[in-house]
Amino acid sequence: MSFSPCNREKEVAELLARGQWPQACTPELRAHARACRSCGDLVAVILAFQSARAQAASAAKLGAPGALWWRGQLRRRNAAVERVGRPILGAQIFALCICALAAAALAVSQARHGLHWLAWLAQLPQPLSLHLDALWPFSLSSSGAGLLVLIPVLATLALLSGLVVYLASEKQ
Amino acid sequence: MSWESVLPNALSGGAPRAAELPMDSDAFAGFYERSARSLWAYLARVSGDPALADDFAQESYVRYLAAARPDEGEVAGRRYLFRIATNLLRDHWRRPRQASIEEIPEEFLAASATSAQADSQAVLGPALAQLRPRDRQLLWLAYAEGYSHREIAEVTGLAAASIRLLLFRARRKIARLLREQNPKGGEL
Repeated sequence: MSFSPCNREKEVAELLARGQWPQACTPELRAHARACRSCGDLVAVILAFQSARAQAASAAKLGAPGALWWRGQLRRRNAAVERVGRPILGAQIFALCICALAAAALAVSQARHGLHWLAWLAQLPQPLSLHLDALWPFSLSSSGAGLLVLIPVLATLALLSGLVVYLASEKQ
Repeated sequence: MSWESVLPNALSGGAPRAAELPMDSDAFAGFYERSARSLWAYLARVSGDPALADDFAQESYVRYLAAARPDEGEVAGRRYLFRIATNLLRDHWRRPRQASIEEIPEEFLAASATSAQADSQAVLGPALAQLRPRDRQLLWLAYAEGYSHREIAEVTGLAAASIRLLLFRARRKIARLLREQNPKGGEL
């Protein structure tokens, strides 16, 4: 199919768009539209579409705009709630992971300090066990005070980690 | 970013503030009155299904309102509305067979019996039903809505450079179909 539009199409299309065809059309242009296939197609197609549009628009049964407006606002709010909830959920998951890790580390560490019911953890192969006692001062590691320091530190760490993740994801 | 800007009264349950919305309810009612008929006509004629047009017209307005976009005026808003409707139609056509819209046979997408009955008096209906959905969209946007090639590209998501050729081919095809239906031809 050759792509060869007529150079008078624009003129014809403007008259049709303004609803002035054929009244405001010169006899010469009208004769051209009869002879030119491209312009003839354009006139037939635009008239058919304009008529179909008018017919379809008059057949439309419109609902109440108020109901649509409130549905739109409801969906907007739901989207906002979801948007806010996403980083919070991420922060919660991250904090939970940190807490689980901290609890595991604490359990292993305490098993080495005499909790008999956890003694089996101390029997784990060396690469799997953690030497957390190397992280705090000797004076604390030998007494029960180590536990009193470790738990708040880990809890704070978990909370701060969650907060950092939340703030980072909220900025995104 | 504050909580108030992210979550407009969502937790308090109060009415949304007008400043945060693209338009208030009265402005929307006016916009709806001016645009709903042409949007419905587009959806009904292109899909060939008035019931589907009802659903998609409503969904288009709800999505339009829910979208967080600046108010760029009525013309741009209208174009955005048609873009939403076009995407809804495209998703609808893709859904049943999980295939590209271009691969779906024309008979499969032809207007339903209900719409065929409604179109029995119309000249355009039967011819339009024989075209591909994309061609129907292009023709309607160009010749019923009067959109320019650039605007059609924006609405359909097609490349602006290809609109001219696609439209020319679609026009040739529907003109031929119209001539076949009415061999005497209309008075030019």
